[in-house]
Amino acid sequence: MQASKQRMIDRRGFLKLTGAGLGGVLLRPSGEVAAASPGDDDLAILYDASQCLGCRACERACKEYNNLPDVEEPNSGLSATTWNVIQQREGVELVGRPFFNYQCMHCTDAACVTVCPSGALAKDEQGFVSFDANTCIGCGYCTQFCPFGVPHLQVANLITGEAKAAKCTFCQDKTRAGTGGPSCAEACPTGALTWGKRATLLNQAKARVSQLKAEGYRGAMLYGESEAGGLHRLSILLDEPAAYGLPTDVQGATTVAMIYKKILRPVTWGVFGAALVGVTGAFALARRTIHMEEVE
Amino acid sequence: MTVKIETEEIVEGRWIKRYTGLERLLHWVHTGAYLVLALTGFVLFAPQLECAAGCQAVRNIRMLHRIAAVFLGATPILYAIFQPRRMVMHVREFLAFCRYDLLWFKAAIPYYLLGRHAIMPPQPRFNTGERMNALIMVLGVAAFGVTGVGMWFGKGIIPPGLFQAMLLLHDLAFTVTFAMFLVHFYLAVIHPLMWQSLLGMRFGYVSESYAREHHAAWYYGREEAMERWEEGQAEAEA
Repeated sequence: MQASKQRMIDRRGFLKLTGAGLGGVLLRPSGEVAAASPGDDDLAILYDASQCLGCRACERACKEYNNLPDVEEPNSGLSATTWNVIQQREGVELVGRPFFNYQCMHCTDAACVTVCPSGALAKDEQGFVSFDANTCIGCGYCTQFCPFGVPHLQVANLITGEAKAAKCTFCQDKTRAGTGGPSCAEACPTGALTWGKRATLLNQAKARVSQLKAEGYRGAMLYGESEAGGLHRLSILLDEPAAYGLPTDVQGATTVAMIYKKILRPVTWGVFGAALVGVTGAFALARRTIHMEEVE
Repeated sequence: MTVKIETEEIVEGRWIKRYTGLERLLHWVHTGAYLVLALTGFVLFAPQLECAAGCQAVRNIRMLHRIAAVFLGATPILYAIFQPRRMVMHVREFLAFCRYDLLWFKAAIPYYLLGRHAIMPPQPRFNTGERMNALIMVLGVAAFGVTGVGMWFGKGIIPPGLFQAMLLLHDLAFTVTFAMFLVHFYLAVIHPLMWQSLLGMRFGYVSESYAREHHAAWYYGREEAMERWEEGQAEAEA
């Protein structure tokens, strides 16, 4: 009877221990994720497709400031060595203004930041998505999760996996130091690319879209106000996003990234914790109840 | 499929061969590779280790992960090449789930936690838990292989959505197999009743008494073992 009571207490203690351990593991914070909405003082770039002449001064300024190789073939896409590019598009509404500038969209809910395991990609306090090449381990997750296909991987060795990702950094060195802004915007001769406070640029963009509509550009619209939590590269388009190859639904990759970091990882920790606590508790119980002298 | 022990497998009447030398070698290569993969993969998996992932040592960590992956993938291939009949026999044994496995589930907690021997029905050469562990590990290695190769060589070739699915599946396979590994390690190495299990995987033999106690359906054959067990149950009830 005494032994039976002792066993009951042990079992209860074991269950309590298991529950406490599991709860502790499940409630533990699971790492940093991107911010939920743009801040009031966030910086941004505004691109107005109606004012772009396709001169490619932005491309050259980007290459020069970031010490990237010479300008590549016209109309080529973004790459590990081209972080800012002008492409000529085709479409009825785009006649006369067929150009579009592609660069990092600096999402608020940046899937690349969420999945980056080394912290090389991060949300800067000024809103843009910063990048530290020294910290990048070349896993390439960012290249597979960005809904805009912006980060690119420069692979040094396919077998060993040695690689570095690359993308527009908002010219983070001088922006952070307060000595300037994104070189592309500073170099643009027509004002198609400008930079400043996101809230201010948003108001300017909305006014410009209204003006364009009044001028007969029925398809004029603002892109980036709410996509991926709000982009820090706003765009004034003359046609629907698809005409520029821009996605209208960018939530898919963001959602998968959040599942990866906010659900799968905590669940994993929970499972490991439960297994460890369970095994430890089971061993403690087995030691009391199983007598080795009876084991053959 | 029940494999009754043949007399020539009994050495000096006390020790029974359970694993071949190749099986033991591949088991330990698999174990070593899996542990290296788990530890090196964990660097990317745990936010607390992000600083470690960002440091220069990550190159070596990544290389270790990939070398270990090759070893992990090689073990089933080598087994299939050198001992195909044993492999087929094992796969059949692993998949031979029947109503007795339900009895194992019913008996597992009182048996492993409280040491109630009599309640455990006779088990074949691999008990239900061992077979579950083997199947989960086989499926896990298959998942690791497909998703690992996809993530290693597929960037820029496979669609991003497929890559994302592979990443999730890779981590999910790690979660499931590592939890199973912890349980397997406990039962095979730490649990007091199973101490000969480790000896079996180390030297290839288990004692006759261990085989009779833990794998009676293997030792006696299913029918005889069940008769003995049911007799024992009836005596205990009486």
